[in-house]
Amino acid sequence: MIPGSELPTDLERAPLIIEEERAVEVAPSKVPTTPGEWVRQNLFSSIFNGVVTVLSAAVVLYFGFQLLRWIFVSADWAVVKANLRIYMVGRFPLEEVWRVWASAYLVAFLIGLSWGVSGLRLRWTPRKAALRAVLGVAVLLVLAYLLEGLRIWILTLAIPATVAAGVLLGRAGSRRLRGVVIAGWVLVFPAIIVLLRAFDGVPPQVWGGFMLNVLLAVAATFLSFPVGILLALGRRSTLPIISKFCVGFIELFRGVPLVTLIISGQFILPLMLPPRMQLSLIVRMILVFTIFSSAYVAEIVRGGLQGVHFGQYEAAKAVGLSTTRMMALIILPQALRMTIPAMISHFIGLFKDTSLLAALAITDALRAARRASAQLEFIGDQKEALLAAALLFWVVTFSMSRWSQRLERRLGVGER
Amino acid sequence: MLSLMSEAAVERKVAPPLWRNIRVLRGFGQAVFVVVVVLAFRELFLNLQFGLDRQGQELNFEFLRQRAGFSIKEGISYNPNQSFVRALQVGLSNTLRVAVVGIVLASIFGLIMGVARLSTNWLIRKIAQVYVEAVRNTPLAVQLVFWYVAVVLALPSGVSGGLSIWNVAFISNRASVIPWVRAEDTFGVWAIFLVIGIAAALAARSWRTRVSERTAQPPRRFLWSLGTFLAIAAVGYVVAGNPVRLDVPKFVDRTYEGGAQLSPEYTALLLALVVYTGAFIAEIVRGSILAVPKGQKEAAEAMGLTPRQQLRLVVLPQALRIAIPPINSQYLNLTKNSSLGLLIGFPEIVSVGRTISNQAGGATQVLLIWMATFLTLSLTISFFMNLLNRAVTRRGERR
Repeated sequence: MIPGSELPTDLERAPLIIEEERAVEVAPSKVPTTPGEWVRQNLFSSIFNGVVTVLSAAVVLYFGFQLLRWIFVSADWAVVKANLRIYMVGRFPLEEVWRVWASAYLVAFLIGLSWGVSGLRLRWTPRKAALRAVLGVAVLLVLAYLLEGLRIWILTLAIPATVAAGVLLGRAGSRRLRGVVIAGWVLVFPAIIVLLRAFDGVPPQVWGGFMLNVLLAVAATFLSFPVGILLALGRRSTLPIISKFCVGFIELFRGVPLVTLIISGQFILPLMLPPRMQLSLIVRMILVFTIFSSAYVAEIVRGGLQGVHFGQYEAAKAVGLSTTRMMALIILPQALRMTIPAMISHFIGLFKDTSLLAALAITDALRAARRASAQLEFIGDQKEALLAAALLFWVVTFSMSRWSQRLERRLGVGER
Repeated sequence: MLSLMSEAAVERKVAPPLWRNIRVLRGFGQAVFVVVVVLAFRELFLNLQFGLDRQGQELNFEFLRQRAGFSIKEGISYNPNQSFVRALQVGLSNTLRVAVVGIVLASIFGLIMGVARLSTNWLIRKIAQVYVEAVRNTPLAVQLVFWYVAVVLALPSGVSGGLSIWNVAFISNRASVIPWVRAEDTFGVWAIFLVIGIAAALAARSWRTRVSERTAQPPRRFLWSLGTFLAIAAVGYVVAGNPVRLDVPKFVDRTYEGGAQLSPEYTALLLALVVYTGAFIAEIVRGSILAVPKGQKEAAEAMGLTPRQQLRLVVLPQALRIAIPPINSQYLNLTKNSSLGLLIGFPEIVSVGRTISNQAGGATQVLLIWMATFLTLSLTISFFMNLLNRAVTRRGERR
């Protein structure tokens, strides 16, 4: 069951062997040396394993073939091509779409800049190079099908170009730019909101598509962060009323499905707010997601706080720091550092949950897919439409979870 | 802690002035907090009442007695002339139906996939990995709609009977029909035997433990208790005279007869929940097996246990203990996610509640009912998982 778990059969004879070197020789080599050996060890190590391999290979080949044939022959991807704009930005007016592009370049530049400043370089083993080449060609093929016209090609290819420019600038400036990068990430979200909204921009009611999914998730995560920290500190507080209140808040919102909160945000929240303060549906949804998310962030931060060694609290007290300063200077910096991977996976979860907006009359990516396949000329193309939406989410969440795994290794979480 | 002690020590010598007395400050701070919270809630509540007044609604549960007037296609018996309360009960029963079955199936599926992730067979490992990575990284809502629209509704038409599986089960876009066991009148008699059987099996178990401790024979507790139970159950079956009957469905006159009929919505929701939660459970299973310290397995190996014994006696019991808390939260998630039935029109408690508040208003009351329902469900599941957790831990200590 577990590799290398069988004792070498020769071990029983081991006491007879006098020279120590011989005993080492009988240990079977774990690392396969030839391709044939690899296949034997990994696919046909026993009769049972061989049968399993053959059967599952048959199943995989059959379904893989069917899938490929469907993707390249039967499927009609025109539904995605015709509705690309709805998928990405919903009902965002065409003449204002430049605002979205500008925001995308801003984020792309920041990503490139932080990459450059961090000094990380991609490692190019032959296998990774091949994988990246295949991936790149696939992306280009998909784009070649979807994008029509020189203008949109230039706009799209400018994104990797911006990332590259950021990387180069980051590498050149390295140390000095560190502060700029951090300030950039703090300011980028408000900047994007201003970019979309200000100067006769587009009101939130018509934001939509995948852009809305991303914006909502980012907004809720950012806004829920301070609330979550306060709730976590409140929960651990020695003041009984405050701690009970925080426990109640956290458990209530963690125990209830998000859908019920979304529906309440649509119908009840407008009644509860003062009549002068009427918020648009999207803003209310940001509020709902923030409240929901803060309950989870609170639990993550609490985990981080518990992970800080007791001695740190005692040491901080011993040097005479007040509770506030102890938390701000000693405990929280350590606790929050430990929560980074959990926060990323929380963000991924929240990001996926934004597709629940489809339950309301908001054109997010999922609703865009349903609308697209409801059009007269694309009836029956639900599979294609929904898979495109799924792929959009998958690309973002998968790369984020990979990034989070790398970060986890670099931060050494769990190794201390 | 430390601050409390030092403050107490100071207090004994000289009482500090009021504005620096920690107890006064704590009390005052909490009083301010309570006042602020109460004021905020009062404001929200007054706004709500004002808004409802304008809409001509009242904030009580009286409206739930009204006639429902809408039909619900599945669940316990119901007709549109019954009240909203009954409609909510139907919704709750549907939530439970999908959550309980979903939890059982997702556990089995997740366990299989989690073990497959650790298989020595490269192909199996990769298949499981692709499944986990594809499913975990796409939204459940998208998957659910996909299962419903692109898979279940795209099945062969129900008018012609759909896909027949050896004539004992049918799958079509109208319903999935599977054989089902039905209780006869004498089932009560058999049930008594079953209870006695369980008691006897437990007795046999503890008897085997004692024998094993006295004589150092292998205890074979599972075999003995299973055997005892099966024997008593078999006797009871004969005494009660066929207390259960297998109900095999038939396709007659363009309709299905007998068996258990699952609606397309139920099938899609169940599939989506099982596949989605299964991926998370698979990762938990894999993670907790890997989390058992390597030394444990090496020690077991050094003691000469066979690979099977190493897994069964050393690795799995410890992995189970690591796995239970995260699996509990997956069960809670599955239960909460059943509310996504709303997206495809499965009448569970959230979509029934939404229909009610669309028809008769009362969104606030409906929200309170939802909250009460899901908090109760969460507490119940956590209660059982805690029992399990305690049982597992105690067994670990005894050994």
